[in-house]
Amino acid sequence: MFVFLVARRYLFSSPSQTLLLITGVALGVTVFVFITALIAGLATLLTEQVTGDSAHISLEPPTRVARVLAGPDLPVESVALVSTFQREQIRNWPMVVELLRSDPDVTAISPRISGSAFLVKAEAVWPVSIIGLEPQGIDAISEISPNIIEGDVDLGADGLLIGVRTAEQLGLAAGQSVLLRTERGVERQLTVKGVFRTGVQSLDERIAFVSLQTARPLFVLPEGVTNIEVKLDDPEAARAKARFLAEATGLRATPWQEKNLGLEDALQAQGRTGTMIQVFSLISIIIGVASALVLSAYRRRSEVGIMRAFGVPSRFILLVFVLQGLLIGLIGALIGCATGYGLCIWIEGITRPDGTSILPIAPAQGGYVWALVLTTLGAVVASILPARSASRVDPLEAIQQ
Amino acid sequence: MTRVLEALGIEKTFRNGDEETPVLKGIDLTLDKGELVALLGASGSGKSTLLSIIGLLLAPTAGSLTISGERVDGLSEKMRAQFRNRRLGFVFQFHHLLPDFTAMENVAFPAAAPAGGISPAMRERARELLTRVGLEDRIDFPATRLSGGQKQRVAIARALMNRPDLIIADEPTGNLDRTSADLVLALMREVNRDDGTTFLMCTHDEGVARRCSRQVTLEGGLLASNISETVDGVAR
Repeated sequence: MFVFLVARRYLFSSPSQTLLLITGVALGVTVFVFITALIAGLATLLTEQVTGDSAHISLEPPTRVARVLAGPDLPVESVALVSTFQREQIRNWPMVVELLRSDPDVTAISPRISGSAFLVKAEAVWPVSIIGLEPQGIDAISEISPNIIEGDVDLGADGLLIGVRTAEQLGLAAGQSVLLRTERGVERQLTVKGVFRTGVQSLDERIAFVSLQTARPLFVLPEGVTNIEVKLDDPEAARAKARFLAEATGLRATPWQEKNLGLEDALQAQGRTGTMIQVFSLISIIIGVASALVLSAYRRRSEVGIMRAFGVPSRFILLVFVLQGLLIGLIGALIGCATGYGLCIWIEGITRPDGTSILPIAPAQGGYVWALVLTTLGAVVASILPARSASRVDPLEAIQQ
Repeated sequence: MTRVLEALGIEKTFRNGDEETPVLKGIDLTLDKGELVALLGASGSGKSTLLSIIGLLLAPTAGSLTISGERVDGLSEKMRAQFRNRRLGFVFQFHHLLPDFTAMENVAFPAAAPAGGISPAMRERARELLTRVGLEDRIDFPATRLSGGQKQRVAIARALMNRPDLIIADEPTGNLDRTSADLVLALMREVNRDDGTTFLMCTHDEGVARRCSRQVTLEGGLLASNISETVDGVAR
């Protein structure tokens, strides 16, 4: 295409100037890519830290409320009361577990009996949250087995796993027995089979694990469970999946985001900061390209004038300058994406002694397509004003200069 | 004889706020096919303005303009550009070549830009024209590497590219040394003689004007004289 040939010749007639311009665009895109990858990496890290030892979705029995019963057979107004003694439970939990197992997005399922209790040793009393679960699923939600620092993870019939802070408070060690008194008033002597240290204070200080079978009599739940904890392949999909599960099971499904509203706000604020930096990068690119093309259009006034004199259509001249913008944007964006990716990979490779990266960067999430599309479009938009001005050059005025 | 140009009652007044400056005060000028006409006159006599109006680069305040049988004074900007491209050729005092292109690309440009590319036929035509102006060994030279006279010859070849009915030349030898000027003038006369291309050439040089078939002189915005002569002994 002839117009492309003209645009290319004009663009590369001053190689050093064009090189500087493309370098400027590429730098802007590099910043765009780096910030996008860094924010994505930070969001992933924070999400992982928050959800790493907790479920992405919690399924619980629906909240029961007192309600008026309606019906033609009822001569007087009747009210369904809610018993405060009756324990809320999921009776059909095996069916729910089956449903969850058939879902490819679900990576872990942990049916549980949860409740409050006190651990009593001599005079010392320590409040804990008891989690009764299937022993083979001990690591389904939180990594417990790799964090056992004393004893082992084998719960058995009367076994108990406690956190290191609980052990310290009660002076307990693996192999010792302790009295457990539940919220239902049931007492039982259990043996500490293992002590874990996860590094998560709430776990190490307040959680104790027993087997599901041990938990049933303790909380007077012969068949049901109190909750089912679920982990997903993609934590970001938790809201949508929770809605689906609530509808499919009739249970109350709470995604992790609802339990961590503060984190979500922080991630959104972080995302907005990133967007601001991206917008400013884009604006600086647009201003750079526009000013360079304004200068180019001014410098080439007499050439454009002679073209107009021998009848070259204004559309052709407009396209020559718009194509220059497009080429600058496209080449700059491609180089910027490549250098941005290289920079992210390089930074990702700089690690601390424990092997973790110094910056939580996600090179694969650098927003490359957006960077390419927005920069190219931005450069085209930036070229429109100078292109219009060039296409309207009065040939007579330009020739007489 | 085919009439190439008919300019009747051409007036041009420039306005600057309330101030009006009449430059052309009713010019009647006709050109027949194959004429080589010199337009003479002192500075400020209106030669360049008349040339710009005939070249459709400037609109007249009054009067009618017909080129190759087509009334052109009322055309839109877009139509004027199309008409210039197809029917008119321009040679200026300064060559105005595009520095980033070769001699051949410069010559082909007026045909290639509206068509969207240089076709083999255009390339061949540009080659033929460059050979004709004596630059067959400079076809692929960048414009910047040509001498002043060579550049002006490329400009003449460019003006001829679309086989125009009329070539408007504004002081085409004004920037050249005597040898180059003679060469360029000889070339224009050759094209005029061999192809019958009509030239309207603005000049200050009496010697150049004497080698044209007709001399038209402007004075104070009016036609002062219109003299036909012979060129190289050939009756015109």
